[in-house]
Amino acid sequence: MIEDTQPPSIALSAHNLHVRRGRGKDAFSLGVDYLDLHAGEVLVILGPNGAGKSTLLRALAGLERSVAKDLIRGGDGPVTLVFQRPAALSGSAEMNVRAALLGKGIPEEVKRQRVTRALDRFDIQALASHDARTLSGGELRRLALARAFVLEPEVLLLDEPFDDLDAEGQRILSLDLQQAIEDTNVAVAMVTHDLRRALLLADRIAVLAPGRLAQHGLRDEVLLRPNTRDIARTVGMTNLASGRVCRQAGGVSWIQIEPGFEVPTTAALNPEQEAWIGIRPEHLKLDVGRGDGESIGKAVVESLISDGLATVATLRVHDRRFTTHLLSGRGLARRLRPGDPVSLAVRPDQVHALPA
Amino acid sequence: MLDPELQTLVEITLRTLWVCGSALLLALLGGVPIGILLGSSQFISRGLLVSSVNAGMGAPPVVVGLIGSILLARSGPLGSWNLLYTPYAMIITSTAIALPLVIGLTLAAVGSLDDEWELQVRTLGIPRHWRIWLLIREIRMGLLAAVIAALGGILSEVGAVNMVGGNIAGETRVLTTAIMMHTSMGEYEIAMSQATVLFGNLLLLAGLLTWLQQSGRKR
Repeated sequence: MIEDTQPPSIALSAHNLHVRRGRGKDAFSLGVDYLDLHAGEVLVILGPNGAGKSTLLRALAGLERSVAKDLIRGGDGPVTLVFQRPAALSGSAEMNVRAALLGKGIPEEVKRQRVTRALDRFDIQALASHDARTLSGGELRRLALARAFVLEPEVLLLDEPFDDLDAEGQRILSLDLQQAIEDTNVAVAMVTHDLRRALLLADRIAVLAPGRLAQHGLRDEVLLRPNTRDIARTVGMTNLASGRVCRQAGGVSWIQIEPGFEVPTTAALNPEQEAWIGIRPEHLKLDVGRGDGESIGKAVVESLISDGLATVATLRVHDRRFTTHLLSGRGLARRLRPGDPVSLAVRPDQVHALPA
Repeated sequence: MLDPELQTLVEITLRTLWVCGSALLLALLGGVPIGILLGSSQFISRGLLVSSVNAGMGAPPVVVGLIGSILLARSGPLGSWNLLYTPYAMIITSTAIALPLVIGLTLAAVGSLDDEWELQVRTLGIPRHWRIWLLIREIRMGLLAAVIAALGGILSEVGAVNMVGGNIAGETRVLTTAIMMHTSMGEYEIAMSQATVLFGNLLLLAGLLTWLQQSGRKR
């Protein structure tokens, strides 16, 4: 079988996007040199509050007045945005979905099929005749997604689609959404502050710093190789520290963070170079002699916080704190207590390092 | 053959309904689009216009009548139209009284929608005329309130229509001006019967509109 290695087609490409709003101390500007949305892919937009995530979505939807903007469309299908707080039109849920097709010259029979399919897709067929203004927050989100998908969009922009939902609601909605994206090959850009959900859905990640696009690339490229410490924090790389290259051997540089605490990395660094390192919590291991990477030094357990599934262990190394994730209720997570000494280990290829 | 008094009552009642209905229709045709425009757009002089509408909502009808009289008087800027002391002058003046009420209440109805309502509908790619239809549908309760307020304002107004209409028998006499005239002449019985008809009309129309409003709310 010949594997299809064609890159996904670009559905929407933004070049030299520049939005400016307000005056004086309320002034806000957002500049994006380029950003592509690919058919069938999910681009997750992350960034601190006020960085301009929602503004970027609105600009891509053509709802933001831009100083400069060059939006290149891959096709001529609809581009639609589902807002953080979707508005329900007065009337039934079905009427809300049907309203999206107003004035589009679609025959009644086709309209009926599309509305039914959209309601089914988000499992709200039973609510079709209910007054949309009486729906719960979760039901309203499903309705807003059905209203967007009934358009058969080429580009779908989602602003915090899982906001205010409980964990189970988020899980089920993200599965339905994932299925809908697969079925329709729509290009999706999604703003979320929920990193876990973002990581489950994202094919690519864009990170905004206040007013600009700081990094943009494939999911793992951004998660594992953030360009700056701020981006590293935004994408959940919580173990950050600075040090100096103290030795090099076999393509591995050892960075001394504290006396007796040296972290190996395969990143290209010069001897004696000052550098900062970043390790994702899931890559920092407690060394129990199973060969989980190179031993890097000792630490003391400071706290263990479990949500029932994962336990976040905070570990102290002199005045620095590192975190690692353990599986709750099993092995070390069950045995460890605050104050216990532990050894840490990490694989050199999982340590991100950049010159300081 | 009808009793002449009853015939007069029917005649001025029909004229009242014609003048009020025409004024209400004109106020709605002008006021609803202006209210929607003011409520859904941002432009430099918007604040000034909204203040003017608010002032107009509280303007004494007699002042509106005075301005109408000056404008429509033979020597006034619109004197060549020969409208003073005709039902058309009464319609124009009543429209001027009702217009700010319709604009103001439409504006309030649009303002009560979610800030992002218009953007959310726009992002669905719905053509402009359908978006306006959806908006009117969305604010229909507020529009009914505007109709009730405007109708009340027009039906209960007497000073202004008296000034521009002149209360001419068979020409411009309507229920309110007739009631005022008969009361001043001490003919309380006739005034009472006319007041009952006026009040009955008002109750009937207000009741109908309230029923529409309430049934719309339940849906």
